Amino acid sequence: MKTSRATAVVTDTSADAAAFNAPLFGALLKGLESGGRCVVLDLGAARAQTVTLVSRYRCRLEIADLSSGLEQLNAETEADRMLQLADALLPAPRDEPIDAVLCWDLLNYLERPALKALMARIAVRSRPGTVVHALIVYAGTHMPARAGQFMPIDEHSLLDLSAAQSARKAPRYSPADLTDCMTAYTLERAMLLSNGMQEMLFRV
Amino acid sequence: MFELGKKDGSAQDADRASGIDRQESSRSGGSETTAVAGGGRGDVAVIGRSIKIDGDLRGEEDLRIDGDVNGTVRLHNNTLTIGSEGKIRADVFANTVIVDGMMEGDLYGSERVSIRRNATVLGNITAPRVSLEDGASFKGSIEMDPEAVKAVLGESGIVSPATSSKAGSQEDQADKAQNAPSQSKGKANGEQHAAQSKGTPNGSGAPRDAVG
Repeated sequence: MKTSRATAVVTDTSADAAAFNAPLFGALLKGLESGGRCVVLDLGAARAQTVTLVSRYRCRLEIADLSSGLEQLNAETEADRMLQLADALLPAPRDEPIDAVLCWDLLNYLERPALKALMARIAVRSRPGTVVHALIVYAGTHMPARAGQFMPIDEHSLLDLSAAQSARKAPRYSPADLTDCMTAYTLERAMLLSNGMQEMLFRV
Repeated sequence: MFELGKKDGSAQDADRASGIDRQESSRSGGSETTAVAGGGRGDVAVIGRSIKIDGDLRGEEDLRIDGDVNGTVRLHNNTLTIGSEGKIRADVFANTVIVDGMMEGDLYGSERVSIRRNATVLGNITAPRVSLEDGASFKGSIEMDPEAVKAVLGESGIVSPATSSKAGSQEDQADKAQNAPSQSKGKANGEQHAAQSKGTPNGSGAPRDAVG
């Protein structure tokens, strides 16, 4: 059963916006329907449509908006301080574990040590079975210079709102690369999407 | 502590001395409809952009803040608007909260919290209805579990537990009975539920972390 309390007021559209099916996102949402109260962590910027969609479930939505902290995390060289910084970038921890994580495009912009630190700190705040939905650049050799913004259209599709901008080389993390960095997680499913990205579901 | 809502002449003189101005809602841009508890005059008190307040701000009329406020703001029955030039470092308790400026602290709205596109918010939101415009900068959490919203608002005192705990308890039992077979989540009509659910739950449906 679903509720509808939050309201999306403005729909952000741009000429470059492109919708694509994301079946594993649908699988994540399906998981929210099967239990009780849940906590959803969105690592991206606040989007009205995300708020509206998630408001259908009995949950708390935590919005980390990490985009401005990615370079800082990459620049840190000392492992312990990197973990501390990752903690500081995330919402203050509570005694309620995270159940689902939305991680759209951001991992592409993290170097391996930073990626490892961030996902380790998220794992600490999670419970066994927590699901992470990630969008990873796969087909293309280059990607926009800054992390894109995505928003859900419905339970099965997302919209890429990235505006035209300069490009940089994509790390093209493979599932094996990511599982090496994310030792607390197992890759459950991966699918190649129509936009050349790969969507992945990891589970703690 | 600063108190708003006294309508006599001395209070108005005090307001002038402290920089708090009262203006008709039409002068504030007319973007929001105001409803003043008790008086029903449609006035909106305004804290001007040059004003800084440190401390506990309480009142019983609608308020617009264009200045700086540090501390706590309590307008339990009224609307608080944080204007585009307003800077708040405070926990806010109000019937309706509209944020167009900078806000650092937790927001509790017994009716609604609305984050406008130019707003910058660092904090947690608890309200039966939450709207967020694209373009707004927001870091924090939004409580969307009706049970948790009831619990937090009851604990915060923004919704009277005495008048609503019984109703809340009855609602919880009805919810449990309704949801028990399927263990499904949420409510069939969230808006309706939100409008009816101003109270403290009986505990069994309380969230693991009720206080934001």
